Amino acid sequence: MNVSGFKQELVFIISSVVILFFILLGVFSPAVLDYLSSGVHSFILDNFSWLYLISAFFFLIFSLGLALSKFGTIKLGRDNEKPQYSFFGWLAMLFAAGMGIGLIFWGVSEPLVHFISPPPFLSAGTPAAADFAMTYSFFHWGVHPWAIYTIVSISIAYFSFRRGMPTLISSCFYPLFGERIYGISGKLVDILAVFATIFGTATSLGLGALQIHSGLSHLYGISSAISVTVGIIIIATALFMASAIIGVEKGIQTLSKINITLAVCLLAFILFLGSIPEILNLFSSTLGSYTNNIIDISLQSYPFQGESWSREWTVFYWAWWISWSPFVGIFIAQISRGRTIREFVLTVLTIPPLFTFFWFSVFGGSALLLERGGAAGLAQVAGEDASLALFVFLEHYPFPALLSVIALFLLMVFFITSADSATVVLSSLTSGGGAFVKVYKKMVWGLFLSAVAIILLLTGGLTSLQIMAVTAAFPFLFVMFLLCYNLYIGLSQEMVFKKPEK
Amino acid sequence: MFEKTLIPVANCEDGKELKRVIITLKDLGMNSVILFHVQEGGLLFGKKGLSWLKCSLKEDLEKEGLEVETLTGNGHTATAIAETALFENVYAVYLKARKKWNVETLFLGSVSRDILRLTDVPTFVHKIRPQIPVDGGAIRHRELVIVYATDLEKASYRPLPYLKEFKGAKCYILHIRKRRADPLSERMWKERVEEELSKLEEELRPDFGEVISEQRVGDPATEVLHTSERINADIIVMGRKEPSFFSAPMGSTAERIVNESAASIFLVP
Repeated sequence: MNVSGFKQELVFIISSVVILFFILLGVFSPAVLDYLSSGVHSFILDNFSWLYLISAFFFLIFSLGLALSKFGTIKLGRDNEKPQYSFFGWLAMLFAAGMGIGLIFWGVSEPLVHFISPPPFLSAGTPAAADFAMTYSFFHWGVHPWAIYTIVSISIAYFSFRRGMPTLISSCFYPLFGERIYGISGKLVDILAVFATIFGTATSLGLGALQIHSGLSHLYGISSAISVTVGIIIIATALFMASAIIGVEKGIQTLSKINITLAVCLLAFILFLGSIPEILNLFSSTLGSYTNNIIDISLQSYPFQGESWSREWTVFYWAWWISWSPFVGIFIAQISRGRTIREFVLTVLTIPPLFTFFWFSVFGGSALLLERGGAAGLAQVAGEDASLALFVFLEHYPFPALLSVIALFLLMVFFITSADSATVVLSSLTSGGGAFVKVYKKMVWGLFLSAVAIILLLTGGLTSLQIMAVTAAFPFLFVMFLLCYNLYIGLSQEMVFKKPEK
Repeated sequence: MFEKTLIPVANCEDGKELKRVIITLKDLGMNSVILFHVQEGGLLFGKKGLSWLKCSLKEDLEKEGLEVETLTGNGHTATAIAETALFENVYAVYLKARKKWNVETLFLGSVSRDILRLTDVPTFVHKIRPQIPVDGGAIRHRELVIVYATDLEKASYRPLPYLKEFKGAKCYILHIRKRRADPLSERMWKERVEEELSKLEEELRPDFGEVISEQRVGDPATEVLHTSERINADIIVMGRKEPSFFSAPMGSTAERIVNESAASIFLVP
């Protein structure tokens, strides 16, 4: 490889070497890896948990500011470009990108876990704890994650489709770095995006694998040994890598559509077989409580009442969304070409969160109603093993085995589609933003993604996954602040161009 | 430019230094000077007056062929100076940066800052450069290096007539701008700015010994300060813009330059 070739591949070389080092450390010295990651994680949480809270709130305000200001009319594409997808097709893809495995994993268990283990100032299992559980589930899955995605999406879409630059995070830094985006500074930004994506996606894959394993154990009594989880990841890896390498885009799209349809059917099934008025009542009440308290809970860490709860939940979620943002952001940007900033932001901040709220009301709300109605043990199960709660919950409905199989299918397809998309995005990020990526890069990233998920599961399970999501997101948080600055500069210059010449 | 200049004077003024300054300004074209003192109410020794100024200094300066007027005002110091400058139709206000702990580049006092913000006439803030000749000699125009800082917007064209009065000096036109958002716009913008700067160069060339232009990307205050130090500039000529929202807590570009520069600043509102 000559010097210019080496420079072009710098992002790929550095990020893959660092990830490989991480994997080898996990294989040969898991204790050291655990010690290091826990140390960094504790340092970040002890000193910067407030920063995550303020940042997510800032990104929300910034996104709304963009939509409601004069910048709202700017198109994410050339002026005469039309949106590539129909409105409903676009919405379906937005939902699919933002929902993923996480919503299936946490849909039942999160409200139950908050209900049984609320912060110290609330008594567990009380109506107040139930209200708190639902409001915070809405909060963690509401407008903030979408605001985080919005920052990355709009930046990528604006600088790529309107300014004609490569689809890379570093392209968005041109106003700040100038030609240095092609140098070390730009490469560093892309490397940070790769790290965030790989650890964020590995966390989701780890959660998915854990839940698939729990479901299989629960249904068919398969051994609960961690080696089975590893086996599930290996099988899924073979499937998603085949899809990514062969490029069966149509197949994946069809699977995604089937998945969304199945998810909606499952939702409808639970809704209609549950108590519809109670669920809808829960939906409207929690929506009211959420919107009424959004500023307070956005910045609240309960410093005098035990801030560890906020660190374990809210900070983890914000970090997880941030680590997902390069991957989801690039995907959402690609499907949003031709839409105005106002249309993009207002849609993204309303419709997908509303659907998610409904999902939580139906699954989490029904689970809470069952628990409060005397189905003892559901919350206990969620508290002990969050991945099992969904399957125990489904036992309270007709055809539990069929429902569980559908849930397993949903998880598996989400696993494959997410990992497939993440592999493509990672390969593109490490190939200068080009659409055509070499096969070996897809293989490397596919294998690394699964290897990281396995290493994290082996070193500490769910806790390790959460630790790495928080740690990898931290540097990207600063990248996101700079994205806001660069975007503002770029959009301001649009306004100058629109003014009549002096 | 300095034909009729208002010089604020304080009780603690060093008469000899003031005289040297005024003689130097005479070399730069001054023929009439207003020495203006603001009495601060409530000060124990505030009403002492400036009798020394009215007697000896005035006589000395009149002997040099200058028209000298001494005026006294009261109230808010900066407002009084700004109002008097306007009513007396002066061409410029002269402020000498005071030497504190031997560091002349230290922050200006609040009065000077307020004058820069309030006055509607050009203000000359004299910092370390150009040095006033100790032996009573004159500052020669052709030895001066002038930086004309411009963003090529309306406010930055106002200093042009004043700038041209530094005839024979070396003029360095410095344009500072933000980088455009993509390489193509950046290249087009750069070319457009180069055209504008060439036109400016042509316009200024007849009045100056040498005219050079440069465009830089970055923070205006930082770039002006950096360039003025790099080329050892004597005077920075710039227009004053309306303060933005953020200039209240952060300080305007002009304020930052005035505070930190070793070169003098000629600020045209």
